[in-house]
Amino acid sequence: MTVAAATSVVHASGLTLRYGRTAALTDVSFTLYDGVTGLLGPNGAGKTTLLRIVATALPPDQGTLSVLGNDPRTPAGRLAVRRRLGYLPQDPGFHPGFTAFEFVDYVAILKELTDRRARHQEVSRVLDAVGLSGQRGRRIRALSGGMRQRVALAAALAGDPDLLVLDEPTVGLDPEQRLRFREVIAELGEGRSVLLSTHQTEEVMALCQRVVVLDGGTVRFEGTPADLAAHARGRVWTSGARVAGALASWRAGDGRYRNVGDPPAGAELLEPTVEDGYLMLVDTPAREETGR
Amino acid sequence: MIDEGRAAMESWHLPDEELRRYGERTLAPPVLWSVEAHLTACAHCRHRLAAGQPAVLRDGWERLDAELDAPVPGAVERLLTRAGVAGHTARLLAATPVLRLSWLAAVVSTLALTAVLAAVLHPVVFLAAAPLLPVCGVALSFGPRADPTYEIAVVAPMHTFRLLLLRCVAVLSATTALSAVASLAVPDIGLAALGWFLPALTLTLLSLALTARLGPVLAAACVGLGWIAVVVSTRGAGATGSTVFVPAGQLASAVAAVLAAVVLARIHRAFESPRRFR
Repeated sequence: MTVAAATSVVHASGLTLRYGRTAALTDVSFTLYDGVTGLLGPNGAGKTTLLRIVATALPPDQGTLSVLGNDPRTPAGRLAVRRRLGYLPQDPGFHPGFTAFEFVDYVAILKELTDRRARHQEVSRVLDAVGLSGQRGRRIRALSGGMRQRVALAAALAGDPDLLVLDEPTVGLDPEQRLRFREVIAELGEGRSVLLSTHQTEEVMALCQRVVVLDGGTVRFEGTPADLAAHARGRVWTSGARVAGALASWRAGDGRYRNVGDPPAGAELLEPTVEDGYLMLVDTPAREETGR
Repeated sequence: MIDEGRAAMESWHLPDEELRRYGERTLAPPVLWSVEAHLTACAHCRHRLAAGQPAVLRDGWERLDAELDAPVPGAVERLLTRAGVAGHTARLLAATPVLRLSWLAAVVSTLALTAVLAAVLHPVVFLAAAPLLPVCGVALSFGPRADPTYEIAVVAPMHTFRLLLLRCVAVLSATTALSAVASLAVPDIGLAALGWFLPALTLTLLSLALTARLGPVLAAACVGLGWIAVVVSTRGAGATGSTVFVPAGQLASAVAAVLAAVVLARIHRAFESPRRFR
């Protein structure tokens, strides 16, 4: 056994899943460690499918998976994972007649917290953790989108899970709500593992210690955000006009154009960002990649 | 008199060991009652308890806080807990979509309409319609389309199959009680007016057995159409209008129910990892 496998929280190897004739994931392998890991990719990249597999909601067609040291393919392994998991789906549904407290209480019961007194203490704790203590008695249908998202996060936190799987947790939130949500997630990442999907590179920069880029159902990159940015080193330059042959070319705040791609000789190179590295990956066909 | 009691209480104090065990919540009656009675009257021992075990005091306040903040349960939950259902089970059942007033009103309306049609046309209208109600109810109680928290429930440690069964029992109980009342309106066929009961159980179990493969809505549709085909193909001139509702038909229904239950028990793990979420 390698050292990485011994200390990893999630270890996936060769995961493949098809929906009919469509391949959602093809030979996906990655390792997740403590801290916050971002799963970055465009819409339709297979992020939600991968998170559902990690969260034991879906079984893969092929491949091996270890989550918190358990094999989710076996009933006992699946149950062991579910007892230590917090999951926020992309589109968390609510029973509209429930209050915030009742909804989190309902999910806590599903998590086997059956003792009323202990469960109510836990519900109060997680609502407090997401800053919703004052809203616990309000009906969910009366809450804003950001508050609902925080209710869903509180439900995921019930039972103090070791692994949090969050599917696009900040989608649909306004900038202020997104900022508050990021603060909460960053705090949660201290002392446990968080896997969150996003298609926003600034989220990765703000939150994640590691990043996995998924595109077209395959892993295109796995490493630190700095490594992802370095992927575009020597491929980002500035110019006075739009460059037609570049992968991406846009006018920056200083009025000059920022270009990503193959720079011309003598171009004024810039320090790459995570977004530049990501653009290089997802806009470049896999066959041209040399890294992996 | 009370002052005398209080004075008597304060003339002695609890041993450290009893106070410690009270804080750890390991004391059992009747010593527990005695200690609580003394603490109520003796400020000195209350202070000793608070000073000696601040964590216990904090936990106590948190428990009290959580209890006071917990919302009052809704009507369905209160009804269920009064009927002896455990509090956490009542909350799970309160989230069953078809236990809402709108669904119950629809069931009552359907039963009233079919009972009237049974009186005007033939009792078979009621006998054939009543078993379909729990099938529809189950289809609308569980699954990605009906349950907004389905995905959360699937990955929760509580077995998905148990949640499904709980909701089925709730739906069956509600529709059975309402159908039994409606049976009183079906004219002059005696006990045969309850001929819907076994088919209702059978169709519910069959639709559950098919749900793992087809999903709840398609499974219910298949079972419903199959049931209508069976009733039509076995129609006769008797008081019930179909051989399904005579003793031989009821026996066949019971056998089918047992077989469906056996299949369901064998495939129950299929509910733990569904293939689809839409």
